[in-house]
Amino acid sequence: MLNVEQVKKTFGSVTVLDGVNLVVNPGEVVSILGSSGSGKSTLVRCINGLERLDGGRITVDGFDVSRPRELAEARKRSGTVFQLFNLYPHMTALRNITLAPIEVLKRPRAEAEEEGRALLASVGLDDRADAYPAQLSGGQRQRVGICRALAMKPRYLLLDEVTSALDPEMTADVLDILAKLAASGTTMLFVTHEIEFARQISDRIVFLEKGVLLVDLPTRDFFAADGGLAQPRVAQFLSKMRKD
Amino acid sequence: MRFTEFTPFDLVLLAQGLGVTIGLFLLTSLIGVIVGTAWGVIRFYRVPVLMQLVTFVAELLKNSPVLVQLFLVFFGFPAFFHLNLGPVQAAVLTLSANTAAFVYVIAVSAIESIGRDQIESARVFGLTRWQVLRHVIAPQAAAFSIGPLTALLVNQLQVTSLISVIGVMDLAKIGATLNLRTLKPFVVWSVVGLLYYVTAKLVAAAGTRIETRLRAHSAFRGL
Repeated sequence: MLNVEQVKKTFGSVTVLDGVNLVVNPGEVVSILGSSGSGKSTLVRCINGLERLDGGRITVDGFDVSRPRELAEARKRSGTVFQLFNLYPHMTALRNITLAPIEVLKRPRAEAEEEGRALLASVGLDDRADAYPAQLSGGQRQRVGICRALAMKPRYLLLDEVTSALDPEMTADVLDILAKLAASGTTMLFVTHEIEFARQISDRIVFLEKGVLLVDLPTRDFFAADGGLAQPRVAQFLSKMRKD
Repeated sequence: MRFTEFTPFDLVLLAQGLGVTIGLFLLTSLIGVIVGTAWGVIRFYRVPVLMQLVTFVAELLKNSPVLVQLFLVFFGFPAFFHLNLGPVQAAVLTLSANTAAFVYVIAVSAIESIGRDQIESARVFGLTRWQVLRHVIAPQAAAFSIGPLTALLVNQLQVTSLISVIGVMDLAKIGATLNLRTLKPFVVWSVVGLLYYVTAKLVAAAGTRIETRLRAHSAFRGL
């Protein structure tokens, strides 16, 4: 279980997260919606230990990310896919994927590479294993980014606006892969602007507004007139996003 | 009566001087690169006290003439620390430290040139600070710094000529000796200058070669 309790985060005088509570159970797909600057990405960065909390607690399967000794365990259990891919530019696609399994999980190289190739094949990149990130398109890079996260066999996949930097066609490629992952029972925390897609794959949708978690509802209820849409801010956000 | 003709033995002298220059250059460059890089790593880890000390020493070395440093080591160390250094020892110490100070600057900017995003993703996947340094930062920092490093070393090669003033028999000192004997400065210094030039070109060529290899991942492969 991924547990976010009363989490507070401030940058200087700006409160980015203000008492956020969120639980993600194994097997669930939870999408986080919210306008830019609402704290969605910061929440993900708090969960994977990139930001220090100013209050509250985050545990991943019981391991507290604020404790240095437990952070390593917590990080082994969650895999992150980044908005801007964050691949290592000096390594081939395959090496990007196998670095952490070999160095952190101490997997034998041959085994890690075999699994890496299988992952690449599963996202349609079997022939690009030896290409460097600079030789890949944005969509291909993000698919490598997803493989890199999956190679660590995470129990929770954190996806931080993974399609925001991609054009519609590439976005479709990446979303297809995520849909397959969701269908196969991968636990996902999915920060996104792709509302329709979130609706299709999510079990639950939460809505963040100015660092406050306004709504946390099962997907069906979120889009119901007497559910999430009853919140004026959610209704406004949804109608605006759909117009664009 | 004074003997002012060139003799075949002068070529041997020049070769010896060149050997001393290249030998000292290679040795002090090696030490300088290792020490300067170590200083850069100390800064990367933000080691308290050591980091401030390194910055202070590097500042001193960068902002004073090598000649002054050389005199301080050669004449000052015996006086203040009762440490008698031969000319070659003083030269190795001074040139190594001077090179290290500039390598440190290059190392720091090379490490800082690596995008935070990559370091963050490596940390998120559980790599330790050392593993991040070794697998993510170092290879890219090396590729980034090889250009400035080559430029620095070409310059440091010329700087080695200063050690002739404390009596090291390097190429410049041999040049001065031949010049005194033959009284043909134009010929002597042209030959000496040419030898420095060729050596510098070799250093630059080696740098370019290494750079091409290290930058393989970002090589432009056409549209």
